[in-house]
Amino acid sequence: MTETVLLYLFSAAALAGAVVMLIARHPMRVALGLISTMLALACLYALLGVHVIAVFQVLIYVGAVMVFMVFVIMLLDTRDPSFVARYSRLLLPGALTAAVLAATLAALLARHHGGRLRPPGGADFHLQPFSVAFLRDYWLHFELTSVLLVVVVVAAIAVIRGRGGRDG
Amino acid sequence: MDLLTAIVLLPLAGFLINGLAGARLGRGFVSIVGCGLPILAFVAALRAFFALTGGDGAPLVATAYTWGSVGGQSFEIGFWFDRLGAVMALIVTGVGSLIHIYSTGYMKEDPGYARYFAYLNLFLFFMLLLVLGRSLLVCFVGWEGVGLASYLLIGFWFEDPAKARAGKKAFITNRVGDAGFLLGMFLLYHALGTLNFDGVQAAFAAGAPAALSADLVGILLFIGATGKSAQIPLHVWLPDAMAGPTPVSALIHAATMVTAGVYLVARLNGIYAHAPLASELIAVIGVATALFAATIAVTQTDIKKVLAWSTISQLGYMFLALGVGAYGAAVFHLYTHAFFKACLFLGAGSVIHALSGEQDIRRMGGLARRIPLTFATFAIATAAIAGIPPLAGFFSKDEILWFAFASDRGGGPLLWVVGAFTALLTAFYMFRLLWLTFLSPSRMDENTAHHVHESPPAMTGVLLVLAALSAVGGFVALPHFLHPVLPMAGIGEGLERYETPLLVTSVLIALAGLAGAASLYAQGPARAERLAARVPRLHRLLSGTYFVDELYDAAVTRPIAWLSEVVLLRLGDRWLIDGSLHGLAALARGAAGRLSRVQGGGVQRYMLLAGLGILVCVAWVWRHV
Amino acid sequence: MDRSQFLVGLSVALFCLGLLGVIVRRNALVMLMCMELMVNAVVLSLVTYAARAGSTAGAAYVFLIFVVAAAEIAIAIPIVLLLVRQRRTLDVGAYTGLGG
Repeated sequence: MTETVLLYLFSAAALAGAVVMLIARHPMRVALGLISTMLALACLYALLGVHVIAVFQVLIYVGAVMVFMVFVIMLLDTRDPSFVARYSRLLLPGALTAAVLAATLAALLARHHGGRLRPPGGADFHLQPFSVAFLRDYWLHFELTSVLLVVVVVAAIAVIRGRGGRDG
Repeated sequence: MDLLTAIVLLPLAGFLINGLAGARLGRGFVSIVGCGLPILAFVAALRAFFALTGGDGAPLVATAYTWGSVGGQSFEIGFWFDRLGAVMALIVTGVGSLIHIYSTGYMKEDPGYARYFAYLNLFLFFMLLLVLGRSLLVCFVGWEGVGLASYLLIGFWFEDPAKARAGKKAFITNRVGDAGFLLGMFLLYHALGTLNFDGVQAAFAAGAPAALSADLVGILLFIGATGKSAQIPLHVWLPDAMAGPTPVSALIHAATMVTAGVYLVARLNGIYAHAPLASELIAVIGVATALFAATIAVTQTDIKKVLAWSTISQLGYMFLALGVGAYGAAVFHLYTHAFFKACLFLGAGSVIHALSGEQDIRRMGGLARRIPLTFATFAIATAAIAGIPPLAGFFSKDEILWFAFASDRGGGPLLWVVGAFTALLTAFYMFRLLWLTFLSPSRMDENTAHHVHESPPAMTGVLLVLAALSAVGGFVALPHFLHPVLPMAGIGEGLERYETPLLVTSVLIALAGLAGAASLYAQGPARAERLAARVPRLHRLLSGTYFVDELYDAAVTRPIAWLSEVVLLRLGDRWLIDGSLHGLAALARGAAGRLSRVQGGGVQRYMLLAGLGILVCVAWVWRHV
Repeated sequence: MDRSQFLVGLSVALFCLGLLGVIVRRNALVMLMCMELMVNAVVLSLVTYAARAGSTAGAAYVFLIFVVAAAEIAIAIPIVLLLVRQRRTLDVGAYTGLGG
C-alpha cells in the first residue's frame, strides 16, 4: 500500500519536473526541473527494486551530466534573446503533434495488458548477481564503453580547439 | 578476285578514291580514276561476256560474301551473269564509261568535279549490283543505291533550292514504289523461301505456286517498277530530275537507272507468265504512259524536258512490250534506247554548253552550221528514236508494235493503234526539237550567238560513238540472243500476214511525223504558236503536264501537310507531348519549391517532422500489429 | 491498470513532453535538456520491461545507455559552446546552416 502511494507520488513528481522544464523561462530552472525529474525516476527505480540502476541514475545523471549542464548555464550570457522568448513559431504544430503522439501511444498501451511485475527486489537485480553477470557476460561491452568515453573526450577537445584554431 | 565481283567493285573503288581523296588529288587524277575504273569494269564485263558465250551457256555465278544464315537459309551477296545480265552490264558499263568521258569535258569548270565523279562511280556500282545481283535482296540494295545516287546527282548543285527540292521529290516518289517492291519481295520469300532469281524462276517454271497469287506479286513488283521507271502514276519525278547535270540525265535518267523497272519485270518473267492480270495492267499502264508523255512532250519548250518526257514515253513502250509478253523486245528497246537517248541528252548537253546554259528551244535555232558535229549526231539519234529505218529505234520499236498487235498474250489492235499514234507523236516532237534547235532561223540574242562554240573532243567523240551505235545497234538480233532467258510470246493465230503492212505503216508514220514537224517548224515556232492559240485549253493542259503535280499537291501533299501541321504538330507535338512534359516539369518545379521550404535549416522544424514521422510509424503499428 | 502499464504510460508522457520541449523551446541548452528527458523516458520504459521480464541483460543495457547519454552530452555541450562563440546567441532559430 505504501509502495503504491509512493509510486504515484514519485510519478507525479517526475511529471511535474517535466512540465516545469517546458514552461520555465530561465535555463537554470529548466535544469532544476530536469534534476527533480531524474531524482523522482531514481526513486521509482528503487521502488521497483532495481537499486543498481537507481544509484547509477543519481551518480551519472544528476551527479555528472547535470552538474556539467548547470556549470555551462552559469557560464553563458543570461541576456540572450532565447532566455526572454521561450517558444519558437512551432509551438502550436509541435504541441499538436506531441498530443496526438501521446494519445496514440496511450491508446496503443491500453490495448495491451502487460504481465505483472515481479515482486520488488527480485534476485536478479541485487548488486551481486548483477555485478557478476556484468563482468562475466558483458565485459566486452563494458570495455567498449570505456573506449567510447575516451573517443568522446578526444572529440570534445577536437571540437573546441580544432574549429577555433582553423577559423581564428 | 572473281571476275563478276571485280566488275561490281571497280566503280566502288573509284567512288572511294575520288570521294575520300579526290578534292586533294587534282583534276587529272580524278579524271583518270573516274573514267579508268568504269572502263576497266567494261573490259571485265566484256571478258565475262565472252566467257559466257564461249561456254556451254550456263550462267556465271559468284558469291562475294555471306550476309548471314538464318535457319537453313543463307543470305548472300551473290552475282549471276546470264545473257540478260550480260546485256545489262555491258550497257551500264559501256554507256556509263562513255558518259564519264563526256563528263570530263562537260564538267570541266565545275568546282565539285571530284564529288561529281565520286557520285557517278557510286551510281555505277549500285547499278551493277542491281543488274548482276543473283537475288532480289542484292537487287534491292542496288535499287535503293541507284535511288540514292540519283538523289545526290539531281541535287548536285544543291545551292539552288529548286534543284535540291527536285532531288528530294525523286527520292520520295521512289519510296512509294519501293514499298510495293518490298511487299512483293516479302510475299515471294514467304511463299517460296528464296529470293534468288533462278530459284524464283524455277519455282514458277514448275507451275504457279498454290500459296501465292502471281498476279498480286506481279502487281506489287510492278508498282516498284513504276516508281523507278517513271510510269503513271509515279512519273512526276523524272521531268524534275532534269535539274541535275546533263550527263547525269543521260546516264541515270535516260539510259540506265530508269530502265531498272523494265529489267526487273523482264528478269522475273516467270512470275508474269502466270499473271495475266498483272501483265495486262503493265501493258495498259505502259501504253497509256507512252501516249500521255508523248502528248506532253509536244508542247514542252525546255530541251531537256522534251527529252525527259520522251524518255517516259519510251519507257512506256518497253512496259507495253513486257505486258504483252515480248520480254526480248522490251530489252531490245531498252538497249537501243540507251544509245540514242544517251546521244540525244549528251547532244542537248553539248547545245547547252555551246549556248552558255540556255535551255529554252524558243531561243535557239540555226545551230546546225555553228556546231555541225553535235547537229549531225543529234539528227541521227532523232531519226533513230523516231523510227526511221534502218536506224536502231526502227527495229526495236517496230518489234514492240508488232507484238502489241499480234502477241498471243494480250496483244490487240487497240494497243497497236495507241502505240502507233504515240510513234507518230514521237516522230513529230523529236523532229520539232531538231528543227527548233538546229534548222529554223536563229532566235538567239547577239551575245549568246557570238559565243556559240563546238564542244571539246571529249564530248563530240562520245557523241560520235553513240550516234554510230544508234545507227547500227538495231542490227543485233538481241531478242534472239536473249531467247534462252527471256521467252517471247507467240504470234496469234493467222496474224503473220499483217506483219509487212504494219511494218510499212510504221515507217510511214515516222515519215509523217517528220513531215509534219518540218512543215510546222521550218520557220520557227510562230506557226505552231498560232495553232496552239486556237486550242488554248488543250495547250494549257498539255504544257501544264495534265496538272498531275497540282493534283498530287491538292490530293496528297496538302492534306498530309495539314495533318502534320494541325493534328500532329499543334495537337500532338505541342499540345499533348510538349504540354504534358512542360506540365510535368512545372509540377516538379512547383513541388520542389514547396518541399524545399521544408529544408529551411531550422533544427526544430526537423524535429517536428521527425515527431510526425514517429507518429506515422506508431499509427502504422497500431493498425497492423 | 497494473503497475508496469502505468510506468510505461509515464514514460510515454515524459517522452512526449521532452519531444515537445525540443520542438518548441528556443534555447539550445534547454533543447539539450529536453533531449535528456526523452532519454530518461526511454530508460524508464526499458527498466520497466526489464523488471517485468526479470532480465539481467536489461539492466546491463540500461547501464550502457547511461554511458552513451553521458558521452552524448559531453560532445553536445562543446558544440553549443562553439556555436555561441561564433554567433553570440543560444537561439537555435538563428542557426539555419543546415538548410538544403
